[in-house]
Amino acid sequence: MNFKHKYFFLFPGLFVLIGILIFPIIFVVRLSLSGWNSYNPGLDYIGLENYIRLFTDDPRFWESFFRLSFLSVTTVILQYVIGFALAHMVWKDIKFKRFFRVLFLVPMMTTPVIMTVIWRTFFHESLGPVNDMLSVFGVAPKWLTDPVIAKFTVIIVEVWQWTPFMFLLLLAGLLSLPKEPFLAAAIDGASPVRKFIYVTFPLMAPISIGAIIIRLIEASKIMDTVYVLTSGGPGTSTETSSFYIFIKGLREFQMGYAASMSFTYLIIMIISLTIIAKVLTKLLLKE
Amino acid sequence: MNLIANNLTYKPSDQYHLNEVSFNFKEGNLYTILGRTLSGKTTLLKTIAGLLTPDSGAIEFDGKDFLKVPVWQRNVAMVYQQFINYPHLNVFENIAFPLRQRKIDSEEINNKVMDSLKSVGLVGYENRKIQELSGGQQQRVSLARSLVKNAKILLLDEPLVNLDYKLREQLREEFKSLFSKGLADETILIYSTTDPRETMELNGEVIVLDEGKVLQVGPAKEIFENPNSLKVAEISNDPPMNIIEADISNEQIRFEGIEIKAPSHLSKLTKGGLNIGLRSSDIELSENGHEFEVELAEISGSETLLHLKRGKIKIIISIEEVLNFKIHDKIKIDFKIDRAYAFGADGKLESSPFGGLNG
Repeated sequence: MNFKHKYFFLFPGLFVLIGILIFPIIFVVRLSLSGWNSYNPGLDYIGLENYIRLFTDDPRFWESFFRLSFLSVTTVILQYVIGFALAHMVWKDIKFKRFFRVLFLVPMMTTPVIMTVIWRTFFHESLGPVNDMLSVFGVAPKWLTDPVIAKFTVIIVEVWQWTPFMFLLLLAGLLSLPKEPFLAAAIDGASPVRKFIYVTFPLMAPISIGAIIIRLIEASKIMDTVYVLTSGGPGTSTETSSFYIFIKGLREFQMGYAASMSFTYLIIMIISLTIIAKVLTKLLLKE
Repeated sequence: MNLIANNLTYKPSDQYHLNEVSFNFKEGNLYTILGRTLSGKTTLLKTIAGLLTPDSGAIEFDGKDFLKVPVWQRNVAMVYQQFINYPHLNVFENIAFPLRQRKIDSEEINNKVMDSLKSVGLVGYENRKIQELSGGQQQRVSLARSLVKNAKILLLDEPLVNLDYKLREQLREEFKSLFSKGLADETILIYSTTDPRETMELNGEVIVLDEGKVLQVGPAKEIFENPNSLKVAEISNDPPMNIIEADISNEQIRFEGIEIKAPSHLSKLTKGGLNIGLRSSDIELSENGHEFEVELAEISGSETLLHLKRGKIKIIISIEEVLNFKIHDKIKIDFKIDRAYAFGADGKLESSPFGGLNG
């Protein structure tokens, strides 16, 4: 079709796309090839020096990356299991169904930073209510200052905050399932447990894959929780990629180097999420 | 092992879905539940299957209280009017599903599924997806799935209603041959339908259901020949039996200025306000008959259905020919009055040409 005004109509969309997506990416690539820092602000050209430094001389970035992988995969698995259980519960006809459906969404509606401050107070080692209650059993875990436990504290807060999102996606999925296969399965001799394994779960597979991928993308951007809860500490034991990039870029103003980390991170995420999506599809859809 | 339903009542709103339904289903028999839509057929089948719990009443099977047995342990099979299958499984796995719920080794599953596929004529379709099949094939898959588990109770809820005319005819034939040879002696087969013709062809024990109530029970032939009430006569005939209000006196039947000599089985009736019932096929075109006006003529297959009117009387006649009539045409018809039924003002059968009651 030859329509002479088509560019006129395409322009607004293209303009937004170029402005918010294409330009920043190109700029980051260019920035990563420069030595922009607080002594030397400006787009000079230093070649691949930043990347060479990143790949040969910065174990902290890679540590933070593997830590991030652990944190995001664990939180998403937990969110999926808990979210599915809750969604399955209020999908059935139970009493106060509507009340529970709203209740389970409350954490998502709160502001993450404020809630994390509240959680930090909760987990405070000497003043927090959690350890106050645990003192009955004579234990006082160092929620925020032990390098191992602190990771799980971050996971708990993340799971609490974002399980509702998973719950919402999965409940929508459950409600959209056809009713007939469940009728058939009961008659065909499937007990409730087997009905879940052989009918509900396979029917939910496409939706599950979507929900898990969406949450994985979100979870790997984890930043605010870590920032407020532990500031990456103790030491660097809860530092994630985005938090490390933030430190390098916006605290130490090594803009060029931070840009090279961002770009590397983006490429790794695209590749790994594609692989994860493929693997999940193979595992869950069995085709 | 007999299945005994005892005073089943189910009334979810102000209308009865089941109203004190009692019946003794004997093993090895075919039962047809005949009733119009919303008459409670599906409710009855679902109650037997365990998908619904009645408000009151009991179901007993093999001497046990069946209502206490959860659905998945009841060993019933059901085919629904919608084609219900598992969309995420292929044809083979769909049929194997009930077997996979038990501990059966895969070779036996394979044999049983292939046998079942053979009996419904779907060999070669094992690996197809359900969505790739036509409606008729989908219904065959659910039929195969219900046959494969060798259930003691097999429920078919209007299995042909959502199929097109040709497939329906074809599947009905296959059902008949399947039922006659393929079923074990101890199976109870319950088939629900709205179609009187299907009922007659299946030729089993018929239960006529209306508004949740059992109106009549008997062999198909008996229901056809001696419907015990006006309602049964309406339900068990398609097109519905023509009902004409008439008086009988001096061995003459009178209505709308027509006088016909009453046949022997009607002549003794003296009550006023009788309803004469005549099947649409028992009225024929005749040169020297009574004049009626054509209201509508519809051709269905090789038949012509004529909706006729004379005064207050409206009747439908069927002619085994394709004929063209215009609306408001005047035609002459004759009644095969010796095949007429008589129902009292209360709707009860008074006399039938096949020797019911006074005949």
